[in-house]
Amino acid sequence: MQIFLPIADVPVDLFVLLILGAAVGFLSGVFGIGGGFLMTPLLILLGIPAAVAVATEANQIAASSFSGVLAHLKRRAVDFKMGNILVVGGLLGSAVGVEIFRIIKSYGQIELFVSLCYILFLGSIGTLMFLESLSTIQKSRKSENTFKQKKKHNWIHGLPFKTKFKSSNLYISAIPPVIIGFIIGILASIMGVGGGFILIPAMIYILGMPTKVVIGTSLYQIMFITAFTTFMHATQNQTVDLLLALILIVGGVLGAQLGARVTVKLKAEEIRILLAIIVLLVCLKLALDLMITPNDLFSITYGSGS
Amino acid sequence: MRALIFAIIFIFSTSPFSLSSVISDIDKSNIELSTRFDGTSILVFGAISSENDSTSLLIEIIGPSTSVNIRKKVQIWGIWVNKKIAQFHGIPSFYKISISNPEHPVLIEIENQKLKSLFYDFLKTNSTSEEGNEVEQYFDELTRLKKKLGKLSTFEEQVNIIDKKLFSYKVNLTKKIHPGIYKIKMTLIDQQGIELSKSEQSVKVSKVGVQEFLSYNSKYNPVFYGLFSVIIALFLGFSAAQLFRWLYR
Repeated sequence: MQIFLPIADVPVDLFVLLILGAAVGFLSGVFGIGGGFLMTPLLILLGIPAAVAVATEANQIAASSFSGVLAHLKRRAVDFKMGNILVVGGLLGSAVGVEIFRIIKSYGQIELFVSLCYILFLGSIGTLMFLESLSTIQKSRKSENTFKQKKKHNWIHGLPFKTKFKSSNLYISAIPPVIIGFIIGILASIMGVGGGFILIPAMIYILGMPTKVVIGTSLYQIMFITAFTTFMHATQNQTVDLLLALILIVGGVLGAQLGARVTVKLKAEEIRILLAIIVLLVCLKLALDLMITPNDLFSITYGSGS
Repeated sequence: MRALIFAIIFIFSTSPFSLSSVISDIDKSNIELSTRFDGTSILVFGAISSENDSTSLLIEIIGPSTSVNIRKKVQIWGIWVNKKIAQFHGIPSFYKISISNPEHPVLIEIENQKLKSLFYDFLKTNSTSEEGNEVEQYFDELTRLKKKLGKLSTFEEQVNIIDKKLFSYKVNLTKKIHPGIYKIKMTLIDQQGIELSKSEQSVKVSKVGVQEFLSYNSKYNPVFYGLFSVIIALFLGFSAAQLFRWLYR
């Protein structure tokens, strides 16, 4: 069934969008990832303008992360103090990111910019995931359990503005969380991602947070940042397509619930290689689109802006 | 409709030596763009009376004005980058012209004159040195791309005239059309292309329902729209959490 998206200004098939939302939601349920870094480029490949895809995806992530936070609140797995400090950095980052986005959009190069960001990100994430899964599979074949994660006394502990994080059982400076939050805010606003794939490793390896509060706290920050980013994009760029967001939310919620329940039945590492391949394929497609000589060198756009 | 019939009768009852004239009507004066709008068509019909057989009927459909940017892809470090090269200010988003007599002697002249006054004259280039052939090139690209997108059509279809008096013509509009006023002009011309009589109709194309609500507020109430989007998303996230908690209790 064809529907017309009011802000994206393109006709799309409703079922394709629902299935896409469900498929990405399913993957996010299986792997515990947000899925924004897959959904945004897929929307672009579907023909939705990059600016709309980014802003709308932020809106979708606001919904899915809120639903996730509620589940983690029940388990008391959220470090609010850490979360709030990350949010402060994130709001700043988001405001800066939306402004960068607006400037590049006014030059008419937002498609190119978003594509380049994604090629860089998907390329590196896909490669990392692929290599990591490969080595994990090899290790598990040799049946070696090499889980080690020690709290090290690193440069983080030399910074000022130290404060106590009770839930995380940490006493560290507030500066690193603000900086990490800031980077996540920029990523959310220019790429339409939650940023969990950076935030979670950063919380574990840089801040040294215990794993049990990491996911809840990251969802807590992501919810605020994506909600704020949605608002900023709506007011600065008018690129949030609420109808598209609603369809993706519905598809995503169903897919994520399914995904979260089938996890046990699948061999995680092998599926992860599959995900890495999907990520690399999307990256390759975006890169090829930029490099292959286009059929038609000329194109037209409407409006007095770009 | 009844008025039209009376008018037709009136025209035909007057003396055969009266001035040439055209009267017309359309089957709809409003088109609503809902979320499920999938294209539509407008039927234009009416009657002509002319002094001799050498007159032809021109029908033009002129969509609301927009600004159009022409972009050209250029290769920078192996990457194809869009570069804005020219802009046309306030040109019709849709234009279609058809004639009853495709063998009309001054057809090319009519086409050139129409395209010049509607499109060509509204070009603004980026380059400071505006060479003549450059301007021509942008104009050619504009018309080529617009034709490719189905937004421009010149004498591709013929207006049917029945019994030298009645005409009917169907205009197909694709699902991606700009909202606004679409003017439909009927002009009776002679062999030299001189206007003898004309008639005009208009169709209002407007977004309705969810389309209208979202696009209007996104544009004119962005603060409300932003808050609304966030609240809806959070509400749905909350509902989903509650729903699945209840389902898997």
